[in-house]
Amino acid sequence: MTAYLIRRLLGAIPLLLGVATLIFVVLNLAPGDPTAYYVSPGVSPEVIEQLRRNFGLDQPLHVRYIRWIGAFMTGNFGYSFGQNRPVIDVILDALPNTLLLAGISLVLVFLLGIAAGVVQAVRQHSWLDRSLSVASLFFYSMPSFWLGLMLILVFALKAYEWDWPIALPPTGVTSIDYDFLPLGERIVDRIAHMILPVATLTLVLAAGIARYTRGQMLEVVRQDYIRTARAKGLPGRTVILKHALRNSLIPVITLLGLYLPFLFSGAVFVEVIFAWPGMGRVIVDAIFERDYPVVMATSFFFAGMVILGSLVADVLYAAVDPRIRYD
Amino acid sequence: MLPLDVRRFSRFPGGAGACLILIAALTGCGREEPRAGAPGRGGHVVVGMRTDFGAFNSVVNTDLYTDELIKYALFTPLIQYDEELRVRPYLAESWEMLGDTAIEFRLRRDVRWHDGRPVTAEDVEFTFDLAKNPVTASLLASAYLSQVDRAEVLDPYTIRFHFARPHAQALEDFWWAPMPKHLLEGVPPDQLRTAPFNLSPVGSGPYRFVERRANERLVLERNEDFPAALGGPPLLDRVFFRIIPEAPTMLAELLTGGVQVDIPVFPDQAERIRADDALELFAFPGRTFYYIGWNNRRAPFTNPAVRRAMALAIDRAEIIQALLFGYGTPAVSPIPPWSPLDPGVEPLPYDPARAAALLEAAGWVDRNGDGVRENAGGTPLRFTLMTSDAPLNRSVVEVVQSQLRGVGVAADIRVVEFQTMLALHRGRDYDAVFTSWILDNFQVASSPMALFHSRWADVPGSANRSAYANPRADALIEAGAAATDPAEARRIWGEFAELLNEEQPITMMFWLNELAAARRTVRGVEMDARGELVTIAGWSLAGGGR
Repeated sequence: MTAYLIRRLLGAIPLLLGVATLIFVVLNLAPGDPTAYYVSPGVSPEVIEQLRRNFGLDQPLHVRYIRWIGAFMTGNFGYSFGQNRPVIDVILDALPNTLLLAGISLVLVFLLGIAAGVVQAVRQHSWLDRSLSVASLFFYSMPSFWLGLMLILVFALKAYEWDWPIALPPTGVTSIDYDFLPLGERIVDRIAHMILPVATLTLVLAAGIARYTRGQMLEVVRQDYIRTARAKGLPGRTVILKHALRNSLIPVITLLGLYLPFLFSGAVFVEVIFAWPGMGRVIVDAIFERDYPVVMATSFFFAGMVILGSLVADVLYAAVDPRIRYD
Repeated sequence: MLPLDVRRFSRFPGGAGACLILIAALTGCGREEPRAGAPGRGGHVVVGMRTDFGAFNSVVNTDLYTDELIKYALFTPLIQYDEELRVRPYLAESWEMLGDTAIEFRLRRDVRWHDGRPVTAEDVEFTFDLAKNPVTASLLASAYLSQVDRAEVLDPYTIRFHFARPHAQALEDFWWAPMPKHLLEGVPPDQLRTAPFNLSPVGSGPYRFVERRANERLVLERNEDFPAALGGPPLLDRVFFRIIPEAPTMLAELLTGGVQVDIPVFPDQAERIRADDALELFAFPGRTFYYIGWNNRRAPFTNPAVRRAMALAIDRAEIIQALLFGYGTPAVSPIPPWSPLDPGVEPLPYDPARAAALLEAAGWVDRNGDGVRENAGGTPLRFTLMTSDAPLNRSVVEVVQSQLRGVGVAADIRVVEFQTMLALHRGRDYDAVFTSWILDNFQVASSPMALFHSRWADVPGSANRSAYANPRADALIEAGAAATDPAEARRIWGEFAELLNEEQPITMMFWLNELAAARRTVRGVEMDARGELVTIAGWSLAGGGR
């Protein structure tokens, strides 16, 4: 197993390099450059040229590539063109917000989704199954930005206007006077601000997991060994949770591995709507502004997360399914 | 210390009754309304902005709202404008024009940097030199100092600037704030853009910098030592700026009191705001105009008559009413209607009959009855109208397309991403483009010079993206730039505007009115062409209330 892991990790290096190179090429092929956002319409061409020289954009493509790759290897990700500070600072400022939002959402997505899927499979054709099916189809089809706006409309705006006991803050990570609050209130403040964005993300994604888990569970529950377990007299809960669920989880673990990069990239729609200063906004803004250093660094990390996610998924398979062995 | 809002729940010690705390806290959350301390004084205001700020450094900044904070909150420019756009003293207590070739400023002696050191002529000279240094690629220099050659410090509070040549509105070359020499002189000019100072500045203005979180918030607090002669310390304790990119969420925050000022507001939100008694809508003429740029080097736009026909066929009033909800003014030249130098020339009327006649005379007739005109060689009068993907732009070009169809002109719409559009426009690789232009400052000569002077017509990447070259236009622009007498300047710009009407190198569409909103509990908010934040040093709160 260890040898397998080492092999996979070593194999990731050329993969990452290849991804980074591809992104560099594609990005530079796109029209426009960072100086466009930088200058008001009236600035003279000489100033623009000087700016491009300052950014190193006047060098030929291969020179820029070599310089950039060299710096990258030594951990120097350069300065953001848009924010004018080190790229690593840009990422480190936004990453915790994304980890918070995406991390909590992911945990809830899987808990909620798997629970709903199991319930539906066990109580197939009941009104519970049918209503959960409708609900998950509803949320699954919902564009996340629409759901986010509707949640804000109901739980922030209308709740305020109609004086409900609970009115949630529409946007932001913390309140204005967060720094002056005692610890208990700080936690509550953070939770209150997270409820709507987490709900938006969770509902949409959990619906998908629920459908998937339901399908898998239905298939597993029909297997002979389940019938044997029941015949042996095991309590229903043990049969479902210990035997059936374990086996139906394998494809769900694949999904977990695929969703892992989401912890890094965040969900840009939700971040924009809720004014959540996370990685999603950083990445998208950087692309539109042609902020090359930030795009390169974030793409590189994102590719790394994808590779890591797939590795984690493979390791989990081996943990869950004794038939799978790596050597 | 920030006065805390009264929470609508009592405080439980420790972790008792977590559930109760949760519900109670949620009741209190989202309803933060500022409360004033002593009458008129104290409290905080939260301003919602859509985009993050740039560098708080006059020399390298390129963002409009950051520029407003530099001029009105954090730093002290040499001069300021009043509501009538007349120049008044600020950091410079007085000045004296030395003929046409130089100006001497006497600075106030009571302005200090927020670290206690005095603001002197050395700082002004230092900033000037940095801006003029080509390596910094400074927008300050190109916007204000193109006609100013050098600075000369005569004593710690007196500085003289020498001009390259006599020019109009010379005093207004100095609407910028000096940076602290003692904090920035160690920074190599080519690294000025990434200097840490830019993100945590030490200023000299009525507010001092407290904290900034990228893409999230900016916090400013009152400067207790701000001289009384310049307005004294502000009444507010603190001003918070929150970055909220999505317009509906911003509106939700404004309506629930999460922000008290909302910059900017969109025309389709204006009605909702006007309907709410607790809110005040600000609509004021802005510095942005929209235009259709014709590529003067490409058929059919090589012919001024064709361009004029297009302008006559477009109903600007209808567009302003329908798409801007009335928040716009028809434009005729780059000189804004609210400028003291506006010559007051009328734009071309909406006259499709005259447009049709012009096209006929130019040889464009519908020869095969398909509704689109052709020339003698059979080429249809068809072109691509490009624009960026902003919602306003997309709507306008669709209306323009249908209006032009009414006179037998076929415009194919091409919507592209902003950067792509800019690259094509700059590269003069387009037929026609609908886009906008923002004025840097109140000096009226800079935009006509950049947009229409023939010296830029062939320079790659210049602002004369229509490649317009007309000696008469050149002469008028140069004369206008040199005219130091306002009446004479107005006359010259009047002639220039008439020329633009006739030649239509670009078709000026409309000036956009800027919109913003504020809760009525915030007093002293006034907005005009100088910017949304012009009176920020004088904002205050009424006592309590929603």
